[in-house]
Amino acid sequence: MIENYLAVSSLGVDYWHQGKKVRALDSVDLTLDRGKMGVVIGPSGCGKSTLMSVLAGLNTKYTGQVLIDGKTPTGGLETALILQDFGLLPWKTVWENIVLGLKIRKKNLSEIKGAAEIILEKMNLIPLAKRYPAQLSGGQRQRVAIARALVLEPKLLLMDEPFSSLDALAREEIQDFLLEIWEETKLTTMLITHSIEEAVFLGQRIFVMSPCPGRIRKQVENPLAGDHSLRGRVQFVEMCSLLRTYLHGGRRETYETDA
Amino acid sequence: MRLMPNKQQGLFTFAYTVLGLFMGWWMLALVLDSPAVPLPWDAVKSLGESLRGDLLFHLGVSLYRVLVSLILATVLAVPLGIFLGKNPALDNKAAPLVYLTYPIPKVVLMPVFLILLGIGDASKIVLITLITFYQILVTTRDAAKNLEKGYVSSVKSLGATSFDLYRHVYFPACLPAILTSLRLGLGTALAVLFLAETYATQEGIGFFIMDSLSRMNYEEMFAGIIAMSLMGFFLYLLLDQGEKVLCVWTRL
Repeated sequence: MIENYLAVSSLGVDYWHQGKKVRALDSVDLTLDRGKMGVVIGPSGCGKSTLMSVLAGLNTKYTGQVLIDGKTPTGGLETALILQDFGLLPWKTVWENIVLGLKIRKKNLSEIKGAAEIILEKMNLIPLAKRYPAQLSGGQRQRVAIARALVLEPKLLLMDEPFSSLDALAREEIQDFLLEIWEETKLTTMLITHSIEEAVFLGQRIFVMSPCPGRIRKQVENPLAGDHSLRGRVQFVEMCSLLRTYLHGGRRETYETDA
Repeated sequence: MRLMPNKQQGLFTFAYTVLGLFMGWWMLALVLDSPAVPLPWDAVKSLGESLRGDLLFHLGVSLYRVLVSLILATVLAVPLGIFLGKNPALDNKAAPLVYLTYPIPKVVLMPVFLILLGIGDASKIVLITLITFYQILVTTRDAAKNLEKGYVSSVKSLGATSFDLYRHVYFPACLPAILTSLRLGLGTALAVLFLAETYATQEGIGFFIMDSLSRMNYEEMFAGIIAMSLMGFFLYLLLDQGEKVLCVWTRL
């Protein structure tokens, strides 16, 4: 009986750098239930992206066990991966980018058209359908990238620092948007970020990582996530502060949370 | 390089460039005062007469040769170029061969082709194809090689096959470079065409020009030169328009 949709136990990954063996991930354990949004946070170089590539099935040279819905990830068609850059092809319009995955999966034309129209409508992208990525703002581009992933109806959505190149305002806008989408689809989502605010706003379960080698330092349950008005609340600031403390290795430093 | 940035402005620029060219020619003709450089309007008048004569036939033959050659070269060089750019290991094996044979002035092979393929269209088409093939191959290969690999893995993650990658990633990404190499190749193709048509043939614009020369009919010779230039211009325009329609994304 599998309870967790995503289950990683004692995951270890090594890679070779200039003739030396480097441990990227070490005894990583994490679980995420179906329909939940998990967030991995940590400083750069802590192996967040390595973890993501293992979950996406792009990296198969690991030790330990990784199970998604009880199966080893193979980069199959049930997982969608959204990256910060290079998600969209600059020589295709928004529409062509969105239908590309369906075309590759040999869906018939009316099916493709129907699915793409629904997703464009849902994501307010209809006025942008004929534009090229270069004609979009950063936030619009990420919306298209999300649309392109969702149109394939994945079971698991993986996002590797999807919003880190956006300015603060566009970032909050698309976080709100992602939350709406998640509420509607209840898609199991794993997001990587280095933003504490993003982690608290979105992550129902937050995994705090420490670098060299990458380990999960702390697993935080975050019941606050999912509240659209959260950013203005005292609890939000407190949670951010707590997370910051964990990121600094448990030392409270100057961040006092007890008010 | 854009031929016409904006339609009206472009037409205007085009008009006074043509006018300027004719003015320059006219002055040169007056200064040189030689039968080898006729006055522009005499040449244009002769062009009108020749068009009613057999110039159109020779132009058609030349156009056929250059078009078939360019199409053949593209069809052969583009897939091979993308394939080599996509597979660096194979490219490393093929590189010495390309590197060694690229600088050979292949036009010197014309006599060999004349013997092997005869004096008809085949020898000329093979020669022009061979020369433009290299230009397109090298440019396409480099464009495919320098493609950002993030695009490839993002489309791969959608479950793409090798063919999907060629169709949706490599080919459209390389298309601007392919069209640029075709524009450069067009100039070379026309130059080689002229050379190939001046020897052992009775057909083509090159023959028409050299035949007029030998008859000392310089007006007609210039009619041929104008006709060949116009042919080059229209082919260039065609490629330019093709690029505008097919590669909208490069100008955003």
